Amino acid sequence: MEMAGTTRTPEVKIDSSNCSIKGECYPEDISEFSGPVMETVRENLSSSESFTVTIELYYFNSSSAKFLFDFFEYLDQAGEEKQIRIVWKYRTEDDAMEEAGSEFEEDLENVSFSLEAIS
Amino acid sequence: MENETLKLHELMISRGTFFCYSGPLSEEVLTSLSGAVKEQLSDSEDLPVVKKVFGIFVEQAQNIIRYSVDRLDQSGVGSVAISKTEKGFMIEAVNSIDPKNVDRLEEILKPLTEMNKDELKSAYKDRLRSGPPDGSRGAGLGFIEMARRSSKFDYDFLAHNANTYFVYRGWVE
Repeated sequence: MEMAGTTRTPEVKIDSSNCSIKGECYPEDISEFSGPVMETVRENLSSSESFTVTIELYYFNSSSAKFLFDFFEYLDQAGEEKQIRIVWKYRTEDDAMEEAGSEFEEDLENVSFSLEAIS
Repeated sequence: MENETLKLHELMISRGTFFCYSGPLSEEVLTSLSGAVKEQLSDSEDLPVVKKVFGIFVEQAQNIIRYSVDRLDQSGVGSVAISKTEKGFMIEAVNSIDPKNVDRLEEILKPLTEMNKDELKSAYKDRLRSGPPDGSRGAGLGFIEMARRSSKFDYDFLAHNANTYFVYRGWVE
């Protein structure tokens, strides 16, 4: 699945073992964005032993924070049986996104979570 | 000299207001305004400041769209403005609300004014875990998010012309 990014929604690419989300996320209705993403990830993850999620967001609003929290919670559960990796990319000078990533990481137990600074 | 246009100009310039939108605010309008706000901010400021100001602006705008009781189709009527002041950037918003909601808003906002950074972080994570409260059309995180991004904020409820107005101001240093 591929969804092109818009001004207010990120670009999404999902295949059998990867999901990447890149851009800005502050849509009118987060469920319209998150519904198809979650559904496609579920389908692919169910038939895969390992799955990597790469997030490279420059800005997300508070409604989108809830989506990310729920998404990571789902991945953490899946991580009890499968190898799940989350890569959180942030621009070096973007301390807000670095902080957001490390705060999400605090609640996760069964996934490998890495913060990666990009220039 | 009594000319309204000149008075408006002088008011905006004197308080450092470089962005102001007043009127019906929809998600489509917010999409357009976002680009303008980002452009204005990115000229002079470093990224962390730009992101805080922009984040508070988006939360304020979406509050007006969702909760202003003065409505026009899908739009909520209100004002949102960004100024450069001696105390840093000020992001302010005003819209009319149902007077019945004053107590509920006070209950949410008053504790946030008294929290330090760590307490705000805990409140944010608690809200993420528990989900939105009754009456919220988002995640119920907006006010906590704004409190976290601002160096300080204040708010007021003003009765005026038979309406009740909710005023919110946040500062970013």
